[in-house]
Amino acid sequence: MFRVFHAEIMKLRKTKIYWLVLLGVLPACLVSSMALLPKISSDGTPIDLDMQEMFYHQGMVLSVFGPALFALITGYVVAREYQERTINQLFSYPTSRTIFLIAKLLVVLSLIVITVALPFVFAIGSTLLIRHTLDIPVLWLGMKMNIMICVLSFGAIPTAAALSMVGKSIMPNAVLGVIVSLFAGISEAKHSMSSILFPWLTPYWPVRDLAQDIAQSGPNPYVIPALTILILTFIISLIFCIVYYNRADVHSGT
Amino acid sequence: MITLDYVLRTYHLTKRYKDKVVVHDLNMNIKAGDIYGFLGQNGAGKTTTLRMLMGLIRPSSGEIELFGTGLNGNKNKALERIGAIIEYPGFYLNLSAVDNLGIHRRLMGMGNKECMDEVLTTVGLHDAKHQKVKNYSLGMKQRLGIARALLHRPELLILDEPTNGLDPGGIKEIRQLFLDLAKQRGITIIISSHLLNEIEQVANRVGIIHQGKLLEEIDHETLQKRTRHYLEIKVTDEQRAAYVLEQKLGVTDYFVTEPGILRLYEHLDQSTKINLTLTNNGIGVKEIALSGDNLEDYFLKITGGE
Ligand SMILES: Nc1ncnc2c1ncn2[C@@H]1O[C@H](COP(=O)(O)OP(=O)(O)OP(=O)(O)O)[C@@H](O)[C@H]1O
Ligand SMILES: [Mg+2]
Repeated sequence: MFRVFHAEIMKLRKTKIYWLVLLGVLPACLVSSMALLPKISSDGTPIDLDMQEMFYHQGMVLSVFGPALFALITGYVVAREYQERTINQLFSYPTSRTIFLIAKLLVVLSLIVITVALPFVFAIGSTLLIRHTLDIPVLWLGMKMNIMICVLSFGAIPTAAALSMVGKSIMPNAVLGVIVSLFAGISEAKHSMSSILFPWLTPYWPVRDLAQDIAQSGPNPYVIPALTILILTFIISLIFCIVYYNRADVHSGT
Repeated sequence: MITLDYVLRTYHLTKRYKDKVVVHDLNMNIKAGDIYGFLGQNGAGKTTTLRMLMGLIRPSSGEIELFGTGLNGNKNKALERIGAIIEYPGFYLNLSAVDNLGIHRRLMGMGNKECMDEVLTTVGLHDAKHQKVKNYSLGMKQRLGIARALLHRPELLILDEPTNGLDPGGIKEIRQLFLDLAKQRGITIIISSHLLNEIEQVANRVGIIHQGKLLEEIDHETLQKRTRHYLEIKVTDEQRAAYVLEQKLGVTDYFVTEPGILRLYEHLDQSTKINLTLTNNGIGVKEIALSGDNLEDYFLKITGGE
């Protein structure tokens, strides 16, 4: 298994996939660095740097851009085997096709973790630089949020894999990505709680919990149904991927 | 140790797409050490057959036996012993030849790195090994495909139109490589092609597939006899024509296929002279044509279209 995973990582060398990762990391860092600027409250006293706000903003960016980015990354990792016509060779190895699928999903998970972890590290680093201390409980909050973003984002990945597998192209994922990000942007601007019912937007749940000054705070009442939907989506599309990968007649190119 | 007679056999191998039968009841028999030419026109079903051998697609019915055991349940064991290019030598374009072979090495579970240089030299790509495959020509990809197929020292090579994209010099080189591999390492090689003369020059056994059916499996000599080039001469009097050609031009290798038609296996480039000789001796020549040089004619012959 590690052999196959390592081979999958090797395939990504010198590809544009890392630019995609940066496309998520940079805005997240940028937005959170705005919290570093000195601020004055309405009554004229300076406000202390707020790490929770930093994490919240990062989470916002990631839960808007993330779904599109991660769908594209998944699309690339799966569809390139068809587009570069390597699928015949891939399935000629003495390794089960399910192993290849799992290795690919793990590669995507790794890239998600990198995309989420880098802004987090940036936030900690810049806070340390400016204040020389860390608020440990808030740090834990941020850590928890980021881990949840990773896990919840991964929930929708098999669906993206299924799309690019059937379409043998990254295009369906690009379309899906744009739609989902637009939708995420709109519903997060409204601080919608029910939007997390949509599997691609579930990562907004831990983000919203970190918000401090919105009208309706408190626990999100949709968490249980949202998680149920996400888990079902994950399981069903994963099963679909495994069955499709294993059963499909393999043709490279046209 | 038991020596295996057959490296590969298929029994009634059939592939159907909806109600179209693409490969029909194929019984192939390939012995150890054979260079087996799998010959057929475009769309005959060659790639489809090779895909089934590699387990890339499922046969609709029939059996495949590799290295003496059925493919079912033993697929991965068999695949470790096979090197293949199916349809197109696909590579990760962002990576160099060496990196692509590195991935192959890893996925085949091989330890040593030296073998990569060895195969790259074998196929003449050593100097281009750090170039991205994106910048490779089809001929170079084809060579790299052969290198990859050889890397894990397979016992059986399955190559789908491997000379596609190669220049004449390259074709000759690769042909020699195949002959060496078979002779020196005892590797069994299956090569598909739609070119009769290409197969003729390298294969010792030939399977001919036409519209999904294996028409025959023959050895090299039989194929050569069947596909000899000849001049077909249509004349008014074939007996007298034969006499004149024997006397004036000294021909001996000919026969009369039917009244008025003479088939001549020599002096193939002298149709003008033949025409002149016959006419000067009072024999009417209606037509002289060179035939038997292509697969088409050959198929017409064995499918009874002649
Ligand atoms: N997935 C498919 N669905 C339907 N028909 C198919 C499919 N794949 C192949 N065929 C048909 O099967 C026939 C044989 O195709 P195949 O690719 O095996 O031919 P081939 O002998 O390799 O030809 P070529 O010399 O052009 O490579 C063709 O008529 C093709 O249209
Ligand atoms: Mg073909």
